[in-house]
Amino acid sequence: MGKKELKVAFLLSLRGLQRGSRSSTIMTVIIISLCFTNMIFLPGLFNGIGQSITTQIVDYEVGNVLVSPRAGDQYVTDLDATLDLINRMPGVERATPHYTKGATLKSGGRILSVGVRAISPSDEKYVSPLYTKMIAGTYLGDGDTGEIIMGKTVAGDASVRQEDEFQPSLGGVRVGDSVTIEYGNGYTKDYRVKGIYFTGWSSSDSTVYTTMSDMELVEGSALDRADYITVKAKPGYSEKFIKDELQSYGVSEDVQTTADLLSKGVGRVLQSFAIINLVSLIVSIIITTVVLFIVITIKTINSRKQIGILKAIGVQKEVIMHSYGFQVIILALFGIIIGVTITSLMALYMSIHPIVTPEWSAYLYLTPLDMLINSLILFGAAVVAGYIPAWRVAQEDIQKSMRA
Amino acid sequence: MIITKDLRKIYPMGAIDVKALDGVDIDIEKGEFVGIMGPSGSGKSTLMHLLGILDHPTSGKVTIDGIDIGKLTDYEKTLFRLYKLGYVFQDYALVPELTVSENVCLPAMLRRDRTPEQFTVATREILKEIGLWDRKDHVPSELSGGQQQRVAIARAMVNHPDILFADEPCANLDTENSQTVLNLFAKINEEKSQTIVMVSHEEWHMKYFHRVIRLRDGKIVDDAR
Repeated sequence: MGKKELKVAFLLSLRGLQRGSRSSTIMTVIIISLCFTNMIFLPGLFNGIGQSITTQIVDYEVGNVLVSPRAGDQYVTDLDATLDLINRMPGVERATPHYTKGATLKSGGRILSVGVRAISPSDEKYVSPLYTKMIAGTYLGDGDTGEIIMGKTVAGDASVRQEDEFQPSLGGVRVGDSVTIEYGNGYTKDYRVKGIYFTGWSSSDSTVYTTMSDMELVEGSALDRADYITVKAKPGYSEKFIKDELQSYGVSEDVQTTADLLSKGVGRVLQSFAIINLVSLIVSIIITTVVLFIVITIKTINSRKQIGILKAIGVQKEVIMHSYGFQVIILALFGIIIGVTITSLMALYMSIHPIVTPEWSAYLYLTPLDMLINSLILFGAAVVAGYIPAWRVAQEDIQKSMRA
Repeated sequence: MIITKDLRKIYPMGAIDVKALDGVDIDIEKGEFVGIMGPSGSGKSTLMHLLGILDHPTSGKVTIDGIDIGKLTDYEKTLFRLYKLGYVFQDYALVPELTVSENVCLPAMLRRDRTPEQFTVATREILKEIGLWDRKDHVPSELSGGQQQRVAIARAMVNHPDILFADEPCANLDTENSQTVLNLFAKINEEKSQTIVMVSHEEWHMKYFHRVIRLRDGKIVDDAR
C-alpha cells in the first residue's frame, strides 16, 4: 500500500460519507457518541462519589493528616505542646484538636443522643470549610461558652412529624433556641443555638459543635488533651511529606495520611467502585464493538456489488478495505468529539447541580486523562469493528460480489 | 493478443455439473472489435469474464500478450486488470458517490506511472471526447442511462487499456442511446486501434463488429470475420 492507494481509499471513504446515506452517517455518529457517554458516565459518577466522599472525609473528619493517640492511649496528651510542634513544621497550614463527649440533648420534649465535638473555631477554619456551611445563625468564636452550632440533621424540621423522620432530630430547633445538654459525666447546661449548618456529609450534619473553652467548663479543668488532631497541608505539600516530617520531628502519636485511612474501610468501597467501573467499561466496549461491527457489516453487505466492480476495474482489495476503515475512523472521531462534548456538558451541569443523597453529594468526576483513555479505547474498538467486516468482504471473489 | 486453449468452466449445481464453457479455443488479434454472441445461457458472459480475468477457468489456459493468466497471483491479476484491461458493464457500475470526473479518473489515480497532472489531463480529454465534460461535477444519479454508460466507457478508456471488455453494454439502453454507445466503441476502435471484446445478444449490433464468435451450450458454433 502506497501513498496513492491510501489517497484513493480516503477519497472513496470521504465521498461515501459526504454523498452516501446521510441518515445512516448521522445515526452511526450518534451511536458512537452515546457509546462514549455510556463508557464514561457511570465510572465518572462513581469517581465523583469517591472524590466527594474523600473530600468530605478530608474536610469534616480527618484533614490531610490525622494525629491520633498511640495504641493503648485514650487521648492525644500534652495538647498545647503537640499543636505548637506540628504548627511549626514546614508544609503544615494548621493543626486543630477535636474532643468529643457523648451527651443527651433535650429540646421541646425531644431527646436525642449525639456526640458534642469541641473544636478551636478559629484554627478549625484553616482545616475545615464548616464555617462556610452555615445555613442559619453564625459560626462559633474561640471564646464562646454556652453556645453551640448543630447540623441540620440534629436541628430537624418542624414540618416533619417525629414518626416520619428519616433520622431522629430535635424537631425543628432554630437559632436562638435553648437546648439542654446532659454530658456523660453528669454535667448539665442550657446552651443557646448560635448557628445551624449543612455540609452534605451525614456524619458531620449529625454532630453538635462547641468550643474547647466550653468543654473545659464541662470537664471542670483545663483541657490539655484531644481525641485526635487534624492537620491541613499547605498547597504543594503532599500528605506523605507531612506525615514523614511529623514522625521525624518526634511526634510520637499515631500519624496517618488520608490515603492511609482511605485504604481501610472507605478504601474498600472505592475499590468496589473501581471494579464496577471496570465491568461497566468492558460491557460498554463490547456494546460499542458489536454495534459498529453490525453497522459496518450492513454497509459492506449493501455495497458488495460495488466492491466487486471496484475490484474488477483494478482497485486493490486493500484500498477497498481501507476505504471502509477510513469511514469508521472518521465516524469514530466525530462520535468521540460529540461524546466528549455531551459528557463535558453533563459534568458541567452536575458540578452545578450535584446528585445529593442523605449520605453524600456526587458530581461527574472526569479528568482529561479519563477522556483521552476512553477515546483511545473507543477508537481502537471502532477500528477493529470496522476493519473486520471490510476485510471479509474485500476478500470475497469478484464474481460472487458482482452477483450480489 | 488473446489466446485460449481448451477453456472450460463448470459450475457445480448440487449433484449436477453445469458446463458453462466446454472447450473453447479462440485467438483474438490486436485492434479487433470482436462480438461474442449467442442465446441466453450459451456462455457469453462466462467467456468474457475468463478473458477479462474476472473469473478463473475450471481447466484450460488464457494467454494475453504472451502472459499465462493462470500463473498470476491475485495481486498480479489486480494490477494486470488495472494496467492492461478496461471494462464496461451492463448496469454501468459507476460509484454512485463519486462525480463523473472522479469516476473516470479513479483507475488512473491508482497507477504508479501516472502523476496527478497526467490523470487530470487524461480525464478531461476523454470526457471532452465523449461529450460529457460539462457534466463532470454531476453524480451518476443525475445522468441518463446513456450518459452513465458513456462515463463507464470513459472510465474504461482512461488508462488506455490494451483490451476493452464490454458485457452487454446496451442491455439497459434504448436504441438511440445504444447507437451512440456503439458508435463510440467503433470510433475508439478505429482511431486508436483499440481491441474490443463485446458481449451482445442483439443481432443488429453485428454490423459494428469485425468478427462475431457465436456460442451455444458453451461451445463455439461459429467464428466469422
